[in-house]
Amino acid sequence: MKMPVTCTVNGEAHTVLADTRDTLLDLLRERIGLTGSKEGCGNGNCGTCTVLVDGAAVNACLMLALEAPGRDIVTIEGLAPRGKLHPIQQALVEHGGTQCGFCTPGIVLSAKALLDGNPNPTTHDVRHAIAGNICRCTGYDKIVDAIMAAAATLQAGGR
Amino acid sequence: MDSEKNGALQSIGKRLPRVDARERVSGGAVYPADLKLPGMVHGKMLRSPHAHARIRRIDTTRAEALPGVLAVVTAADFPELPIGASIPMGETGYDMWMVAQTNMARGKVFWVGQPVAAVAAVDVHIAEAALALIEVDYQPLPAVIDLAAAMAAGAPVLHEHVFTKGVEPRPRSPSNICSRTVIARGDASAALMTAPATAGITVAIDTAHQGYLEPQAVVAQVDANGFLTVWASTQGQFTAELMIGRMLGLPLSQLKVIPLEVGGAFGGKIVIHGEAVAARLAQKCGRPVRIVLTREEVLQGGSGPPAAALIDIAVGADPDGRLTAIRASYHLDAGGLPGLGTSLVMQASAALYQCPNLDLQGFDVVTNKPRTEAYRAPGGIQAAFAMEQAMDALSQRLGMDPLEFRKCNAAVTGGLMPIGTPFPSIGLTTILDRVGAHPCWTDPLPQGRCPRGRGLAIGYWRGTSMTSAGHITIAGDGRPMVTMGAVDISGVRSTMAQVVAEEFGLPLDDIHVQTGDSKSVGYTDAAAGSRVARTSTAALVEASRDALGQLRTRAAEKLQCPPDQIDYAQGRFRARERAGAAISLAELMQATLTDGAVVGRGVSAKLPLGVEIGAHVCDVEVDTDTGLVTVLRYTAFQDVGRALNPIAVEGQMSGSVVQGIGWALMEGFDYGPDGRLRNASLLDYRMPTALDVPPIECVIIETPVPGVPYGVRGVGEVPIVPPAAAVANAIARAIGIRIRQMPMTPERVLRALRA
Repeated sequence: MKMPVTCTVNGEAHTVLADTRDTLLDLLRERIGLTGSKEGCGNGNCGTCTVLVDGAAVNACLMLALEAPGRDIVTIEGLAPRGKLHPIQQALVEHGGTQCGFCTPGIVLSAKALLDGNPNPTTHDVRHAIAGNICRCTGYDKIVDAIMAAAATLQAGGR
Repeated sequence: MDSEKNGALQSIGKRLPRVDARERVSGGAVYPADLKLPGMVHGKMLRSPHAHARIRRIDTTRAEALPGVLAVVTAADFPELPIGASIPMGETGYDMWMVAQTNMARGKVFWVGQPVAAVAAVDVHIAEAALALIEVDYQPLPAVIDLAAAMAAGAPVLHEHVFTKGVEPRPRSPSNICSRTVIARGDASAALMTAPATAGITVAIDTAHQGYLEPQAVVAQVDANGFLTVWASTQGQFTAELMIGRMLGLPLSQLKVIPLEVGGAFGGKIVIHGEAVAARLAQKCGRPVRIVLTREEVLQGGSGPPAAALIDIAVGADPDGRLTAIRASYHLDAGGLPGLGTSLVMQASAALYQCPNLDLQGFDVVTNKPRTEAYRAPGGIQAAFAMEQAMDALSQRLGMDPLEFRKCNAAVTGGLMPIGTPFPSIGLTTILDRVGAHPCWTDPLPQGRCPRGRGLAIGYWRGTSMTSAGHITIAGDGRPMVTMGAVDISGVRSTMAQVVAEEFGLPLDDIHVQTGDSKSVGYTDAAAGSRVARTSTAALVEASRDALGQLRTRAAEKLQCPPDQIDYAQGRFRARERAGAAISLAELMQATLTDGAVVGRGVSAKLPLGVEIGAHVCDVEVDTDTGLVTVLRYTAFQDVGRALNPIAVEGQMSGSVVQGIGWALMEGFDYGPDGRLRNASLLDYRMPTALDVPPIECVIIETPVPGVPYGVRGVGEVPIVPPAAAVANAIARAIGIRIRQMPMTPERVLRALRA
């Protein structure tokens, strides 16, 4: 059965028809067309679908589309308005923190949730924050380095 | 290549960001599951619930009647390929009968999860509902799930046409042992009998998975003329095209494969998994069809995992520590269809040691589990887990330092490889010297609450070369536009931009690199075997020089002097004899654009091998209460010939090591007696997270390969070879016990401690 769903994604209001069986990830990818969030496992174990819901990092594959109304949802597409990369994204580019790229959107949003609440993290804090995001390519070091560098940039007032 | 030029490289060797990184961090990179075409519908595959069964009948009428269902296909919708049908790939070709069986079972199923039918419907939920309406009448057959059962006398035979190869005289009855491979010199058994010091180990290794995060996905579309376009996540658009064309019985001129971004592959996306099925559904229903596998499908049988193995090794040395014999048997579990063979694995495990007596025997065995495929140096990690533990045990028996033991027996340039041919340029002794001088080896091991140990292991991988092609057109503004055949699974667009920038003497930003589809660039083999950066470098150096030669002719005309009196550097042609007479690439192209295109072409075939060698050192702590092994410190040394981009090299090395640690300690398929995978989710099949691994220190060593442009070696495979052995050797030195199963889970370590 399909139902109309109205929600706010990246500050923009959307009204779309969603199947009652759709997850938030299906809503974002298939109904709204924001394909930056990925589906790697479909049951909350890989983190490739991580988005921000009211500021918290959430696996979009574990929320139903019908739970979206009233929430403030941010996806990877909302982080670089007009093409200016967020310091986390910029640091990942410079440090080689993205290889195949499939985990990257989720990593960026988990990192953002971390730095929004803890602007001065230790490397262990960073590793803990992305422990729900599996990366199979990098071995994690360059991602951790990038997030630490982004924290320093943000602390210095960069955006 | 010209050595004076290598002295002052402008782009090659620099730590530069990937040219496609911005797209990846902002969610713009397009993978096949992201593609949505007008009118596109959704495909789903029905998979076998049985490990071994005959298919008596398939009735699709109820599924076809479900509203929203547009097409249903079974093996009857594909031409039946004869046993032994093959397509070109490398030196041996690739077995198409097996590819067809892997994508759509015909007559019999050989593993749980093998596809038996597929549906296209307007909605993915309807497609799923339709699968439940397909009636398959199976006659279950006795199944063999593990290696020992498959080889036992009287075991149910999977394939009536398989008679063990490599046995004389030819056996009279079919067998689950598909082949026996022997590599031998001297008399290893006799040497072992008389060796003053011997050691040995028998290990059992579980199946694991490549663990790429992007499940297989494909979109297929047929136009009004019947021309098929397939957007795929593949390591090779040409290999995929050959496989799809053969499965459909479609001439190669009637289809093309467009490779999109690949969300990890590691060997698992060479063979098609659903591409031809989506194409047949699209042909049948006249709409574009998308198939995206679920993670459970990927793990349960919808993709090819690497092989489980049983390996037995005995080694012997003289009192000075010189190896006198290696005797080994390797049983590789190919899954439900004959496998990749055992030769490379056998070579990999023994190649790095000089030894007068070798007796290596390999057996490729079928069982009722998913058909296995490549995973990063396929078989290398399994072989090293056994061989490097045996060598470590022998060094202990001799009372020798394990590094000194390896130095004493290290293979050298010109020495004999196991197959009897001389080694090309290798830098193993250099690597071992670097290990010995590094703090990871010289620092004392810090004490902890629980026992700690330091392990060393070395690894070898042969790699391959095969064929790559590319061309460079010069844009109207004078900039080189590169189209290469290589699919980018390792940052090769970026490293090739560096190569072309180097050849043209231009800034990196002036170079644009793209991967062509299978109809817009020359034939190129799949991105596998650590071949792509090396062979693409060779092809694009040739293409660059071809383009520059054509430009030189034009410049000579403009500057009114013979071409041999024209110098080129950094984007400008100059007349040597006439000061001030010069023209830039941009000016030249603007002036001559309507004279016709400048297209430089390059092909690399039969490039010398760029064998890969690495040595790894790790420190572990073993919790004797829980069996948990923690890797405290990890250092990887590797000879890469020349690092085109050190960031990319480190990324390949660190990623490989973490995959290796994953298989070493936590990743293993758990099959039930019915052949069903009991841990078919990423909750139960655990891959390392950022908290499970330490920082990986990468030490890059550069011993260029002669006869290869810029001396580039393969990089991406060998760093997965030593990790499991390095961890195992560290564990053995921590607790004095060798763990004979992999993964070395807490449960297994605890059992070993309590045995």
